[in-house]
Amino acid sequence: MGETIFDKNTNLSEVNFIAKPKVPLEDFPVELSRSQLPLPSLGELDVIRHYSNLAKDNLSVDTNFYPLGSCTMKYNPKLNEAVACLDGFCDIHPYQDQDLIQGSLELMYNLQNLLCQITGMEHFTLQPSSGAHGELAGMLMIRKYHDIAGNQKEEVIVPDSAHGTNPATVSMCGYKTIVVESGSDGLIDIEKLRLAVNEKTAAIMLTNPNTLGLFEEDILEIAQIIHDKDGFLYYDGANFNALLGIVKPSLMGFDVIHLNLHKTFSTPHGCGGPGAGVVGVGKRLADFLPSPIVSKRENYYLNYQIKHSIGRLRTFYGSFSVLVRAYAYILRLGRDGLLNVSHNAIINANYIKEKLKNYYNLPFPKRCMHEVVFSCSKQKEKGALALDIAKRLMDYGIHPPTMYFPLIVAEALMVEATETESKYTLDNFIDAMIAIDKEISLDLQILKNAPNNTCTKRVDEVRAARFPDLRWQESGD
Amino acid sequence: MPYVLNSEKEIGQMLKDIGVSSVEELYSHLPQAVRLTSSLDVGLGLSEMEVRDALGGLAAKNKTISEFNSFLGAGCYDHYVPAALPFILSLGQFLTAYTPYQAECSQGILQAIYEYQSYMCLLTGMDVSNASLLDGASSLAEAVLMSLRITNRKKILVSEALHPEYRETLNTYLSGFNASGSSSAGFSIYEIAAKDGKIDPETVGYSVDNNTACCVFQNPNFFGLIEDVQNISKAAHAKGALSIMSANPIALALLKEPAKLGVDIACGDGQPLGAGSNLGGSSFGFLAVKKEYMRQLPGRIVGKTLDKDGKDAYCLTMQTREQHIRRQKATSNICSNQSLNAIGSAIYLSLVGREGLRDAARFSFCNTKYLYNRMAEIRGVRIPFASTFFNEFLWETDNAKDVLSKLRNKGIIAGFYLGDKFPQYKNGILSCCTEKKTKQQIDDLVNTLAEVLHG
Repeated sequence: MGETIFDKNTNLSEVNFIAKPKVPLEDFPVELSRSQLPLPSLGELDVIRHYSNLAKDNLSVDTNFYPLGSCTMKYNPKLNEAVACLDGFCDIHPYQDQDLIQGSLELMYNLQNLLCQITGMEHFTLQPSSGAHGELAGMLMIRKYHDIAGNQKEEVIVPDSAHGTNPATVSMCGYKTIVVESGSDGLIDIEKLRLAVNEKTAAIMLTNPNTLGLFEEDILEIAQIIHDKDGFLYYDGANFNALLGIVKPSLMGFDVIHLNLHKTFSTPHGCGGPGAGVVGVGKRLADFLPSPIVSKRENYYLNYQIKHSIGRLRTFYGSFSVLVRAYAYILRLGRDGLLNVSHNAIINANYIKEKLKNYYNLPFPKRCMHEVVFSCSKQKEKGALALDIAKRLMDYGIHPPTMYFPLIVAEALMVEATETESKYTLDNFIDAMIAIDKEISLDLQILKNAPNNTCTKRVDEVRAARFPDLRWQESGD
Repeated sequence: MPYVLNSEKEIGQMLKDIGVSSVEELYSHLPQAVRLTSSLDVGLGLSEMEVRDALGGLAAKNKTISEFNSFLGAGCYDHYVPAALPFILSLGQFLTAYTPYQAECSQGILQAIYEYQSYMCLLTGMDVSNASLLDGASSLAEAVLMSLRITNRKKILVSEALHPEYRETLNTYLSGFNASGSSSAGFSIYEIAAKDGKIDPETVGYSVDNNTACCVFQNPNFFGLIEDVQNISKAAHAKGALSIMSANPIALALLKEPAKLGVDIACGDGQPLGAGSNLGGSSFGFLAVKKEYMRQLPGRIVGKTLDKDGKDAYCLTMQTREQHIRRQKATSNICSNQSLNAIGSAIYLSLVGREGLRDAARFSFCNTKYLYNRMAEIRGVRIPFASTFFNEFLWETDNAKDVLSKLRNKGIIAGFYLGDKFPQYKNGILSCCTEKKTKQQIDDLVNTLAEVLHG
């Protein structure tokens, strides 16, 4: 990699962004002041080049196929960016009087309603700012419901195929995670679930389709088992992209759900955020929503009157600029467009599955929904790990799939193409995967050395953890 | 159909290759009972032109802060954003990539985050920063959870002069642990009163005991005042509690580094560093700590290492703290953070540079000082606290709400009304100046206020 911005410091002092005020200039009291501010100063063009060159060294949706499973790396329409940047949305302070921000409140109100329509839930809060934040909101609502009802609950059921955020969230709510193993078909084993559920069960956290890309067909029975013990069904909507206009979480019996607007609803991932993990609830949990939500009388208003609200999860009203993008996306696609999203997501996933199943092991061969999980177990016998195959894909200009997840699949590669990829792109990927499989027999070393064409060769992650170097320091420090 | 690239012909070919006759057949195994019986009622879809019109119409229903002479701050600050910043941030290779799990094809992102972490360390004086959290309030909550893990204690001291929404967020984050029947119950929060607008280190000294995990405060505090950080931290340390400070990062251009004043965990909201207002979303939270606590940090961390040719390289590191590895034993459930905004703050700092950041901070202070001095001359305006502030201060006048509304009718938003959150300041207004305020705008507020009060 190139030098850091700190190494490029030219000590340029006349950057002149900020106008000198006409008020009397005073120094900040010296006894409170720092003695030095050791930041670099360089010219604007140097800064632009620095970051433009950093940008160059990344794969992204805009530049490359990015089939990162469970992350829904679909195209992020530029229209969304254009409308999110309107002054009328950006140049707004959160504490302006509400009659001055009616447009923003109307947008939020409409988005809440559209999400209710899409999912069948009764109410939505737009406040949570990531999927895990949404999980925390939803599970704290469940926790508070049980506590007020006097229910002695201690445990939350989480399938072994679940995202890591689920058990981590359970811990943050003071509950204990009970892991239920999947059956040989990749779905929840109903008998094992029955054994795990009892009076202490507060809830189950479930994503459907699950992280294998498979639809939990017994969902209504699962709901019955949990509801019979006065437990709640929490829906991790990370994998919702294949269900738009086909299935509603409310019909599956879910009481509380989160959706990742940065997945299903096309807002950009931004190297890992900002996203939004909006949360919907049915009637039973409506009184527990975080406050405020947006309501309407004659005008739109921030509604803090929620009887048993769990309170706030952050300042202000959520990642508003993300909400604008998702709203634009839903308006643009509408009824048929959303259904078309899911149809094409399903087709693309099953197409990859069909085309690669003779080359890579499919541990769970059922019809898949939004994604497909392969095991590189056959390749491992010949010496190539899922890791090697993932790294080699970079040489073909493809971002690797999610690897080693879900944990129940050995040498897993989890592929989610999304609906916005063409047959041409999928065929390229399929050809690359087949070519890599052949390379294992011809020249294993080419995989072991991969990636060969990136600016950086394989990175020593063990060294990074053993000798943490987590910040730039002036040499000699 | 927008954003789907395959034509009917290609879709037909793919279905044939899969071995089905229709897409519906691909999900025919889904139980009928969970299927929609009618189409979604979400509109029929719009052209790009129509969406722009619809969103433009909503945006036009808002009145922007630029249409007023606004002195709003209180956690969201209207600083100048260099023109180049949004151009860099909208580069697709930053905007449309995800968390840099795959180091070799994400080196630029990783280096940008490493540089962000370095900037946060330079501003706070800390050894280690994570790659960002969701916002200032949630980072403060995560800082407190960290202190509970580190000290294994149960009592939390919180300054009354902390942003009330931070306090509410902290309560929410702790509520899971504190609910009745919880096996780990028993965390308790004690408020340290802010007499004279600040917390008194002596009060911290009386309140801290051997069961205190941390003392949490904001600096500059919610009323704009500079706290006695060194003595607060000393008082906390006397009983083995940690000192947790939430800071405005622009103020840190002037203030002594929190780490040098004994703070153990520095956190805050990064919005002032080039993020714009956006109705308060989205910004990012920062969290920086002393080295000994780095294994307890939540969230992503980027480290510098070598590639197999021995060249410098970057990757996500210390991941055994995180949910995707440690699951229920992770330091937090956080996964997505606010990377793009964090990188945005590093770009902001790079563009404005040392002088620019100092100017933004110092001119904010000068403008605020000028406003303060002029307000002090107005009959009927009371300024309850005399100590040093940074970019905002509290003033009072009779019938404050009425005065605010009269000023608004004249195109001035004079500040944040305090009475709803702090009943003891029912006539309190918090006014803020950034470097963007002009002398003319400040004079306009002062003159119009005098007029409103005295006719």
